[in-house]
Amino acid sequence: MYDKTLPFGASIKWIKKETRDTATYALRILDREIGKEYCFKPGQFNMLSIPGIGEAAVSISSSPADHDLLHTVRVAGDVTTALANLSAGDVVGLRGPFGNGWPLEEAEDRDVMIIAGGVGIAPLRSVIRHIVAAKKRCPGRDIVFYGAKSPKDIVFRDEFPRYRDSLQVFLTVDKADPEEYWKGEVGLIPRLFDKVSLKPLSTTVFMCGPEIMMKTSARELIMRGFPGEKIFLSMERSMNCGMGICGHCLFGPKFVCRDGAVFRYTDVAEFLEVPEI
Amino acid sequence: MRRCRLRKEELKAIFTALEGTHRVIGPKLEGKTVVLSEITFDDLPAGATDEQGPGKYRLKDERSDSVFSFSPGPDSFKKFLHPPVQEVWKFKYSPKEFIAENLPGEERPLAFFGVRACDLAALGLLNKVFLDGPGPDTGFSRRRRDMLVIAVHCLSPHGNCFCESMGTGPELRGGFDIAMTELEYNFLLEAGSPSGERMLELLHCEDAQEKDLRDRDALILSCKKMMTKTMNTGDLPDLIYRNMEHPHWAEIARKDLECGNCTMVCPTCFCNSAFDRLSFSSLSKNREERSGDRKKTWDSCFSKNFARVHGGNFRHSRKARYRHWMSHKLAYWFDQFGTSGCVGCGRCITWCPVGIDITQELEALRSVR
Repeated sequence: MYDKTLPFGASIKWIKKETRDTATYALRILDREIGKEYCFKPGQFNMLSIPGIGEAAVSISSSPADHDLLHTVRVAGDVTTALANLSAGDVVGLRGPFGNGWPLEEAEDRDVMIIAGGVGIAPLRSVIRHIVAAKKRCPGRDIVFYGAKSPKDIVFRDEFPRYRDSLQVFLTVDKADPEEYWKGEVGLIPRLFDKVSLKPLSTTVFMCGPEIMMKTSARELIMRGFPGEKIFLSMERSMNCGMGICGHCLFGPKFVCRDGAVFRYTDVAEFLEVPEI
Repeated sequence: MRRCRLRKEELKAIFTALEGTHRVIGPKLEGKTVVLSEITFDDLPAGATDEQGPGKYRLKDERSDSVFSFSPGPDSFKKFLHPPVQEVWKFKYSPKEFIAENLPGEERPLAFFGVRACDLAALGLLNKVFLDGPGPDTGFSRRRRDMLVIAVHCLSPHGNCFCESMGTGPELRGGFDIAMTELEYNFLLEAGSPSGERMLELLHCEDAQEKDLRDRDALILSCKKMMTKTMNTGDLPDLIYRNMEHPHWAEIARKDLECGNCTMVCPTCFCNSAFDRLSFSSLSKNREERSGDRKKTWDSCFSKNFARVHGGNFRHSRKARYRHWMSHKLAYWFDQFGTSGCVGCGRCITWCPVGIDITQELEALRSVR
């Protein structure tokens, strides 16, 4: 097993611009041995490093079955800004994968509801692709709710039409751009729950996005009869080491990098209610 | 396990036995403070006495006849096994290549001399953090390799000690290679491991007497009687979890200066941050090629940026940051590592510039509402 405390080099195969501030990077691990050994679960993340700048936790946006190892990154801090200045062929450092990933076994023989906000769609893309790839699933039983600031900010916008064959997709924005015709929804995700016939007892929910969005969505679903045990959310905290030895990502007693980032709602509900925990 | 007695004037024999093979880390006077440092026998602050209280540490003028008359200062194991600044890896980087490599191992193993029970308990906790997790800390395990621990039973507490109520002291409870007890004329030495046994053989000391053991127990008992500070741990961690929104947190925040001293002196606070340092030469030549190293420094959950992510800070109020520190020690640790994160050494009380006392703050959470 390679050393997860030490980054290895990965070159950028290609870059795809998703929105004005978000891009997807396909990475190729340079070391052949590590490349063979490297494997991940949907929902896990890597630490990407630009030497001299630092490291940032970035979730993997491809599915393990996909050919390319993808990371979808929104420009936010020093590392992501530096990353945005690189081009195909350039090299970055990579450590990982870290985190527990989505418990896909919890979705077996059940309907799946995906709730994503902003770039929070990135770690869920692999779940969507997993569902799409499993053709035996009855089309239309699985649902995606995705909220973005505006239509321009919808990540993977070009991919959703394809997913509509296998899933019900609801896109919503905080505000529609006046210069663009928008036929999707406007408003918060919980407001869309009335648009579908919910099956509270046979659905597993995976969500990732701003904490307030996840909290209100989970509360609303529970009010509508969803068991909290079947709601899973991927938390965001400051990740620094990835292994639970630096303390930055603590969320109550949970090391988000190691015990999460995916948590069962009932395991963290009490901490979600404490401001600034 | 072997027990023997060493005449006090022969204490230097222990240092002689370690010469050439180990770096001895022990107490030493630096200015008017007992610190831990690489020492020789002559550096021992034998006979020094000190006084500690909330926000107070004073070396006293009076001298004592005993060697271990002083209490631990601000330093603990942490300073050496999880140093304030440490190199993690070296890297060479160009836009076409990235090579990171681990650093070479330590030269000589460390021997800690004069370690107290609270610090040994703290070492046990650091082991849980750095060794038992899924990502063993390579630096920590490298530094503690072949380490020797020559510990000493605490026989007089300082004003902020509450190890007895935390179940960690004042007597040594394992984890040492040799346990020393300072008796009237002798040191009672007890081996706690095969390496300790071998060491005692090297010292050629005479066997311990029954009376030495009785004296040891009596001295420890009298130390316990002198320790007045306690922490009531019976309802931990629930007490903290029940009181996350207690008004007293805001009261503490009014005194708190957020200097982070408590996190620096705490022997179990392990939080750290990593940063890259570019070597100067790599900047002057080709801008595209860089070399340097990744370093880790101690960080403190009291620093404003500790929980910051892009676009926000999860703990922006002082109240939340103090609550996080104390909750981690007295509640989260139980869930994470099965034990309290506080060992009762009292350092956070001594070195707090405004004398915030964790035992009293906990009591306030329990009583005020």
